[in-house]
Order: sequence, then structure tokens, then C-alpha cells
Amino acid sequence: MKATIVALLAVTSFGACVGDVDEQWQLDHDRIVAVRATPPGILPGERSEIDALIVAKGAAPVEKPPELARVISPLSLATALAPEAGKWVVTAPDAARLAAARTELGLPADAPVPLQLGVSYANTTLVAIKTVFLGEARANPALEDMMIDGAAAPGMTTPIVVQPLTDVRLSVKADQSDVVNWVTSCGTMHDFDLPAAYLRVEKDDPTEGYLGVVRRTDLGGVAWRIWPIRATP
Amino acid sequence: MKFLGPVMVALLLGNGVALAQPDPEPPSPPAPEQPTPDAAKPRLRVSGRVIDALGRPVRNATVTIEGDSEGAPVKTDKDGRFTISAAIGSTLVVEQKAFGVGIATVIGPDLGDIVLLTEAQLGETIEINSEAPAVAPGAAQLDRKELQRIPGTGGDIVRALTVMPGVVNLQLPLGYSGVVIRGSSPQDSKVLIDDFEVPVLFHNVGFRAVVPAETIASLDYIPGGFDVGYGRASSGIVSLTTRPGDDKRTTQAEISVIDGGLLAQGPIGENTRYLVALRRSTIDFVLPSVIPDSVDLSLTTVPRYWDEQVRIDHQLNKQWKLTLSNVGTDDTFELFATKDEQAATKRFYNRTRFARLTAAARYKDGPWQATLALSGLWQQFTFEAGLYQKIDLRTPAITPRVDVTHTSELANGLKDVVWRVGGEVQATRGSIDLALPVEMREGEPMSPNMDPKDVTEQFKGTVYLADFAAWGSVTASLDKRIRGTIGVRTEYFARPNEAVIEPRGELKIQIAKLWQLRLSGGAYRRPPEFQSEILEKQVQSERSKQAIFGVQYEPRDGVRMQASTYYTDRTALITHEMDGSLGNNGRGTTTGAELLGTYRGGPWFAWLSYSYSHSTRVDQPGAERRLFSYDQPHSLNAAVSWQRGHWQVGGRFQLYSGLPYTEATGSVFDSDRNTYIPIYAQPNSSRAPLHHQLDLRVDYSWKWGVVALTAFLDLQNAYMNKSVVTYFYNYDYSQRTAFTSLPLIPSIGLRGIL
Repeated sequence: MKATIVALLAVTSFGACVGDVDEQWQLDHDRIVAVRATPPGILPGERSEIDALIVAKGAAPVEKPPELARVISPLSLATALAPEAGKWVVTAPDAARLAAARTELGLPADAPVPLQLGVSYANTTLVAIKTVFLGEARANPALEDMMIDGAAAPGMTTPIVVQPLTDVRLSVKADQSDVVNWVTSCGTMHDFDLPAAYLRVEKDDPTEGYLGVVRRTDLGGVAWRIWPIRATP
Repeated sequence: MKFLGPVMVALLLGNGVALAQPDPEPPSPPAPEQPTPDAAKPRLRVSGRVIDALGRPVRNATVTIEGDSEGAPVKTDKDGRFTISAAIGSTLVVEQKAFGVGIATVIGPDLGDIVLLTEAQLGETIEINSEAPAVAPGAAQLDRKELQRIPGTGGDIVRALTVMPGVVNLQLPLGYSGVVIRGSSPQDSKVLIDDFEVPVLFHNVGFRAVVPAETIASLDYIPGGFDVGYGRASSGIVSLTTRPGDDKRTTQAEISVIDGGLLAQGPIGENTRYLVALRRSTIDFVLPSVIPDSVDLSLTTVPRYWDEQVRIDHQLNKQWKLTLSNVGTDDTFELFATKDEQAATKRFYNRTRFARLTAAARYKDGPWQATLALSGLWQQFTFEAGLYQKIDLRTPAITPRVDVTHTSELANGLKDVVWRVGGEVQATRGSIDLALPVEMREGEPMSPNMDPKDVTEQFKGTVYLADFAAWGSVTASLDKRIRGTIGVRTEYFARPNEAVIEPRGELKIQIAKLWQLRLSGGAYRRPPEFQSEILEKQVQSERSKQAIFGVQYEPRDGVRMQASTYYTDRTALITHEMDGSLGNNGRGTTTGAELLGTYRGGPWFAWLSYSYSHSTRVDQPGAERRLFSYDQPHSLNAAVSWQRGHWQVGGRFQLYSGLPYTEATGSVFDSDRNTYIPIYAQPNSSRAPLHHQLDLRVDYSWKWGVVALTAFLDLQNAYMNKSVVTYFYNYDYSQRTAFTSLPLIPSIGLRGIL
């Protein structure tokens, strides 16, 4: 822990000596922004579709199903995941198979069974894991009370126009246990991992790109919203 | 242990009076009177050397024992050396027609240097530093003034340690104690202040030692092969000895961009001296102004520290000297990694503080010496990160210690025999409240993106630790050229219920007048008390076996060359098991060689050290051997300092290997936890590049009324070589960047003494 404190203060004190790498809020970077199961928790016989928000450097973010997917754990439920008409779908098995899976994982009798999936994109150069909970119904969260620069956030296809060299306030309603990430490829994001963040398009920043927000809950739920954005004086 | 501290020469009414001090406590209050010889006391073969004020040998000086009409006087040879049979406590009188009379008290077989002064030198005070014999092959000692002369250290002990051969050199201190010695983890070596462990050596910000050099008499660096009096360490020892107050009342102040402090010292009556020092960081006044506004940071409590030292020495009578000393420190900071000071998820808070109070009584009468000490430690370590992760650790400890030595000239056919026995108990009560991720062990790369909700390791309760130790050793001369020590230390670590026996020994052979060979070896243990080790009772102590071979050459006064090679075998190293728990399945070896040359003469002080080291680890049976995380094959330090009149100038060149690191070859995104799980190459299979730098220091001293002032400028990395300390990966391990320290680190300060 002392080493952590030293590292923290070293970076604080000597922060200017760390070179540039892409920040976690940078949307112009090959990455999986989030993987979504809709819904994230299902009862026996119910279905959940898997997709993700994907970004390739220089391209627009897209929502699409995995190129490849497989069950990582528990392997006894490997057949719960299957491709279906270009999508990957999880179908919760019956109660008996779930009970066997609970035994395999050492879970209590009434606990939801975490089905851990591995998904990949871009010819397996982007790999992620995602958990779908079987035996318990769960829903993805909503994105509510989103404010951008003092106004209610528009729909996904409506471009957002901001002033350069101005702090553009962003906020979304979230519980304290939620994880919120604001991402952008236009400007510099501040407090990207807080429900209330702000964006500032500096002189050398790209003036056109995308702005997004992702909200994650403790129960495996995820929701996102992406807008085109440009900075115009 | 430390046979020769600084030899202070004072003049008394026409007679030169020399006090040769084979005493770990440098200048002690003058005894009211010298003890008279006692014919009943056993006699030792006492050796010494007589020199003049410039360090030149004085030949044909007559050495007699005061009040001993039967003893024949002896003459010094062309090197100023003499040998005489005398009892402990007797007074030697040294006479030579060109000088005043010198007096020395016999308190051991090696008197060191006795300085004779001429009539012309009467009325002035001259201070001469002689070099103590190394306590083990490869060991070294620096006194306070030398510590402050080494350029690039800012006069600080932590940075001064980096000139020692065998200490891993890095621009930032490492680990908890900050000292990586001979290829071992920081926790494997102990840092002692006045013979007792301290939990931290340096402050969080500025990386300054918790004790200023001004309050230190000496720094002993023992990289291995230490004697039975030291324990709970499997690698090396750094022992700081605080100094008693001066015999003149003075007050001094010092301020720099890092910190500022006050020190007051002086006598209280005839037999008591005091020293009080207090220091506070000043960098916290500067730091907020150098952090750009664009950085998402709120320093709600700017990193700051206090430290304090108190020492009172009292000469109770001829035999007993009492010392009460206290060292304390308090570091705190609170920051939010955002401008929003209400964002609890982005809050980091730390408070580290401790106070150690030690009462010691030292007894010395004829052949007997003893130290009785009782030391108490109170410490608190609190760290909070975000909403979920925290540790609050409060560990008061008490340590009684006794050490007794008896010297006899002859015993069982052996000469100059020193018997030593001792014992120590360290009892600690730890109140722990923690919720943290599983901590990384040595060799495991640290993830740049920890899950802020990860509290895999949780504990709330009280842990009791009790370590018992007893030791004994005997040192004797087998003949004129060979002197050996053999001893054993036994320890019982109560929490893991582990009793251990650690035999140790050393052989010194004077192969020629100026050459000495030394061979030492032994077994060492470090109890499982570092961080989360105390939470798992099944974890046992780490073990090491050390073998060291050294040679020492002293061609003339003030010049010493010592070289040593060593091999350390480590077993039962504490590593993570497959299930995440801790076990004693690791092992490792370190081989190395060190060279140290020092010159102390006139206005010059020079230091040259080089060390080669190769240290590896195997974390589990069957696992591949890997480099130790702090493996530094090459480290070179060359320093020189010159002092004359108002000026003191010096330079230091450093050249050392970069440390190993583990490359990340990719990652898997855990979408639910919003973290990336790195995929690593072989542990420590890459290495940061070689680093070199030049440090410069200039001091200027002058008088301003009754105040003696010294201004100093200390420049680290004067030619601004921007070196790579390590590499940082970005959040998904797809990019990395070099972490380099500042190319130039200036330290400017002013010291005033009233």
C-alpha cells in the first residue's frame, strides 16, 4: 500500500513526465466500449441477446453482435449460448440444469447462476467477457435526466453543437453504486467517470466526432447513448 | 560494532588530550575523571597509533600507563603505532618532545588514533574524523558531515544510502523501508534508529528521510553478514544512530524548498545534554502552484509532513549513562482526482504516523559493558480510496532489550576474548480494519486500473504478534593475525509458532600489514509480518543463508579499499498460492560483487563504489526462474567533495542499470467491472534502460553577526539526462509510455546556527 501511495504522489508530483497515451474517455481508439446482454438476467426458457458498442479508430461507433462468442463458465451450460440469425442469444436452461450448475459453482440453491461469456470482434483482436445471470430476471438501466450544456440530451442521431474553449457540463442520473463513463472523440473530457462531467474542446483538439455515455449497474445492467458532436465558434 | 566514531580532540591548558572512542555513542559527555588502573583487572594487548593534527604518524612517542610504575613504557614505530599491555579503564599517557602530552582511556583492544598537538595549536579546537572498521565485509559507515557532503542527496539520508554498494539505486525510493539491498525485497532489510526498528524511513512527499541528517551521528550500512545482535531481517541492516546534544548551547534553523526545521541543543548542568528538533514540509506550500489548472485534481489536504526528534543524555556516574530518545513523524494528504470535492468515489486519503520512545541505560566498567533498553512504538497507517477500499492499521509495540559484553585478555587459551549475550522481546498488538484488493507480491505486475469496488481481502479485528530472541557469541584472536567470531541467535515467532536457530560467524585474517581478508556467513530469518502476511497464521518466516568473502586494503591513513563477493540463498519466500492465499513456496538466489573505495584527507572526501548483482526467484515449485523485480546488475557511484574556507563544492556521477519489468502483450475487457485484465509476457523479462546522471552541490558558509549561515544548492541530474524509470500502460494495455523523472531536480536551502 505504501508503494501505491508513493506511486500516486510520484505521478502527482512528476505527472508532467508521463508521455501521452489514449485516456479511457477517448472514443477515437480501437475498443469495445461495453458489452450488453438484453436483458442481463433471465428466467428458465427466457432469451437474452448479446451485442456491444464497438469503436474503430477514425470510424463511427457501432452497435453490433459479437463475431465470435463462447461460454467460459460454467462449461456445463456451454449450449446455453448459440448463434441465431446473425445474433448471439443466451437461452436460460431449465431449473434442473441450473441447479446442477449451482452445485458445480458452489452457489446457494436460490442464487442466480452467472454465465460468463467471451466475445470477440475485429478478428479476435478485441476480446471481452460478459456475464449473463440465469434464474433471476434483471433489466438494463435507463438513461434518465441526461443534461448536456444545460439542456436535456437530444436523441441519438441529433448532432450536438458546443462552443470550443468552453466547459460543457454533462450529467446523467445514476445511483452511487453505478459506474458512469463519459467518452468522446471531440475535445477533452474531465471527470469522465463521474455522473457529472464536463467537456472542453481545446485549441488542438479535434472539433468533430462523437460523444457518448455508458451507465453500468451492480447487477450487470448496462445502457449507453452516442451522439455526433462538433465544436463551432 | 562501531569501534571508532569521530575522534574529538580538545586542548586543556598546555596538554593535548585525546579521547579515542571505540563507543557506538559519539561524543559522549566528558567523564568527571579518568578511572585509575587497577592491578587486579585483566590486561589486554592494546594497540593504537599516534598521529599529529594533520594525520601524520608520530614516531618515537613514549606511551606509559598512568599511575603504573611497574609497567614498562613503549615507543611508537615509524608508522606511529604501538602495542601495550593495559587494563580496561586505565589511562595511557603519550609524550613526544615536539608535542604536548596526549591522554587516552583504554576501553578496548583497538584504541584507534591518538592525536598529539603542538604548543602552537594550543587554544584551538581541531576535529578529526577517523574511519571506523567495517562491521562486516562490504559494510560502510558515514558520519553526519559526510552524509551532508555527498552531492545529489540534498543532505538526506535516504538519498545518501544510494551511494552504498549493494543498494539498488533509483530516483524514487522503493517499497516500505525504501532500501533494496543485495537483491532482496525492501521488507527483508531493517532500518533501525538507535537500535530499534522504525516502520517507515521516508516521508510520502519529497521522499525525505523521517529524521534529518542534522540529528544523526552516523549511518551504518551492513548489507549482509550481520552479527547475532541483529534479527528479523534476511538481507541487510541500515542503522542510524542519533546524536547527543552538543556541549555548547546552540540553536539552528534550516529551510529549503522541501522542508524547514529547527534544532536546539546544549547542556543541562554538568552531566546532561539535550537535543530537540522539529521539521515541517514546505513543499506543500509550493505544490499547488506547480500543478496546472487543467489537471483534474483537488488537494483538499496538500501532502505535508512533520517530524520530531528529542534526545536527552545523562551521565549518571562513571559506569552508567542514560539516554532517552524519541523519534516521531506524521504524514497526511487528502486529494480528489477531480475538481469536484464532493465526488467520494475519487477521494484518496492517507495518514501515516508513528512515534518511537526509547529509554536506554549503558553500563561500562572494566571488562563489562551492558545496554539495557526499553522501547515503545505507536503507529497508525490509514489509507482510504473511493467508497469501498480502506485500511486502518494501529500497531502499538513494546520492545525490551538487553545486551551484555565481557572482555578478557585470555580465556581457554584464546586471546582478547569478547563474550556477548543478549535478548529481546517484541510484542505488538495490531488493530486492523481493511477492505482492499489482493495485494501484489514481488514479481507480480501492478495493474494500472484497479477495480475501485474490489475488496477481495477483508479483515476487521486484532492480531497479536510476539517475537522472542536470545543470542550469544564469542570473539577471540586465534593468533596474531586471525580473529574469529562465532555465535548463534535463536528466535521464536509466536504467531506462526515457529522456533528458529540462526548460527553466524566471521573470520578475519590479517594477511599482510595493510591487507585483511574477511569471511562471514550465517542463517537469517524474516518473520511473516509484512502487510497481509500477518493475516495468515500458516505463513512462516522467510529464510536466507549468506556467505560473504571480503578483502580490505588500507594503503595509508584515510584511504580504504574494500571488495567483497557474496552468495545468498533464499528459501521459504512468501508468494501467492494458486488459490490466492499466501504460502512459503518461493526461493531465490543472489550473487554479486562490490567494490568500495574511500578517501578522507585534508579538504577532500571521495567515494567510489561499484556493485554487480544478479538476483533471481522461483515463485512456485516447477515455475520458471525469473529475475527479481529490483535486480540491478550494475551500479556505479563516484563522488568527490572539496572543502576550504567558506566554500564546499562537490560532484557525484551515477551510472546504473534499469530495473526489470513485465511487458503486457494484450488484454481482455471485463465489461461488467469496466476493467481490463492484462495478458503478460514472462515476468520481468524486459528491462528499463541504463541511467546516468551528474549531481552537483555547492555550500557557502559565512558569519552574519553571531549567526553562522550556510547556503546550499544541490542539483540532481545536472546535465538533464531524462531517464526512464519504468513504463506505464494505458487503460487497455494497448499503448505504453515511459515514466521519466524530472530532468533536473534543484534543492536550495539556508541553514543558520546561533
